[in-house]
Amino acid sequence: MSLFGLSGCTGASVEAPVKFPVPVVEMLPVTMGLVLNAELTDYVHEEKLEKNGTWVIDIGAAQQPMFENLFRGLFANFETLSKVDGQSATHNGVIVPSITQVQFSIPSQTRTDYFEVWIKYQVQLFDEQTLIAEWPITAYGKANVRNYGLVSTNQALTAAARAACRDAMAFFALEFSAEPKIRAWLDNETGALNINPNNNSASS
Amino acid sequence: MKFIGFQNAKSLILISLALTSLSGCVTSTIQAVREANTGMQTDDAIVVLGRRSRPTNSETELDFVSCVAKGVTNGANGLSVVSEGDFMDAMFPWFEPRTAPANTQDLPELLTQPLLAARLEEIGLRYVVWVEGSTQRTESGGSMTCSITAGGGGCFGFLSWENDSNYEASIWDIKTGTTAGRVASEAVGTSYMPAIVVPIPIIARVRKQACTSLSTQLKTFLRGDA
Repeated sequence: MSLFGLSGCTGASVEAPVKFPVPVVEMLPVTMGLVLNAELTDYVHEEKLEKNGTWVIDIGAAQQPMFENLFRGLFANFETLSKVDGQSATHNGVIVPSITQVQFSIPSQTRTDYFEVWIKYQVQLFDEQTLIAEWPITAYGKANVRNYGLVSTNQALTAAARAACRDAMAFFALEFSAEPKIRAWLDNETGALNINPNNNSASS
Repeated sequence: MKFIGFQNAKSLILISLALTSLSGCVTSTIQAVREANTGMQTDDAIVVLGRRSRPTNSETELDFVSCVAKGVTNGANGLSVVSEGDFMDAMFPWFEPRTAPANTQDLPELLTQPLLAARLEEIGLRYVVWVEGSTQRTESGGSMTCSITAGGGGCFGFLSWENDSNYEASIWDIKTGTTAGRVASEAVGTSYMPAIVVPIPIIARVRKQACTSLSTQLKTFLRGDA
């Protein structure tokens, strides 16, 4: 985790943490390619709030460790690719995640003690160069400023960003194989392997 | 208002620092409801988790959860406790705010998953203790005025406030997939801050008392002594 200093009396500049767990889920028996575009890995959300200064959340640095650990737990094998090249000899499909929107709120806006962060992802699944499915994911994280002492702004916003990243991973890990178009593609790829999507679905 | 010089103020500050060890009175109550027998084997561990389900805005404070975990670990009959962060990572993504089981009815289905069951076995987890609640300021009154001049400064007035801590711990038995019981801890106390030149805080450590009572009772409860 790395933090930058406060920018003036209000506003903050933080970087989402880069340490994430590997999900404990039933591995899908496919080899998946992972394309992490620069637009994703360099993603920085900057927003000026009226009377509350400029806020910068560097989400991009967290994306590579986040998706690599996610894929390490979810797929039998994965490899990082530079692009969707159609050379499918070594992998069944290729996933290209992107961030389409980031929003956040600060305690003075919501009159609560919480920083909140929302991240919208668009996940594309390709088989060779054919787009099989587009899957939107909305992740949410919050953190209570009262948990982080007197100089709490940066730490609380960082914690909210980390929680949003973990939420994205959790949703991806548990719902990937339940998404209808992805499910159909997986059935086709894995043949008679008969993966039960319920094994990786949250009960609540 | 009469102001004092720097040297005198320094002496008074030292006196007030010495007085900060004064603490206000706290009244606490503890209640335990047992629904099943409990007991800990040598290799058994527990985890203390704060409820973070959405969209509530009254989450249990992180330091209260870690205080309870520490309190349960300490002492002659201390229990083995897995830290909240280590547990969340080891069980990821099954105990995240989005996915955490809401009640014990969700446990059996969760435990049928071989990977998850193996991980729990590896950790040696026997009980999950869910802590809910928070500390709120319920009353406050009085006023205080402070001034600083070139020759010194000082405060005059009187403040008081009452804090109320209300926490409940639900104990889930991982082996049986049932609720073993609940322990509730409530503490109320009023803090004061009189100021004649130097403010003297007399703090009622309400949350600390609630934590101590809860962790002491949890130890007794989990060992099956009560």
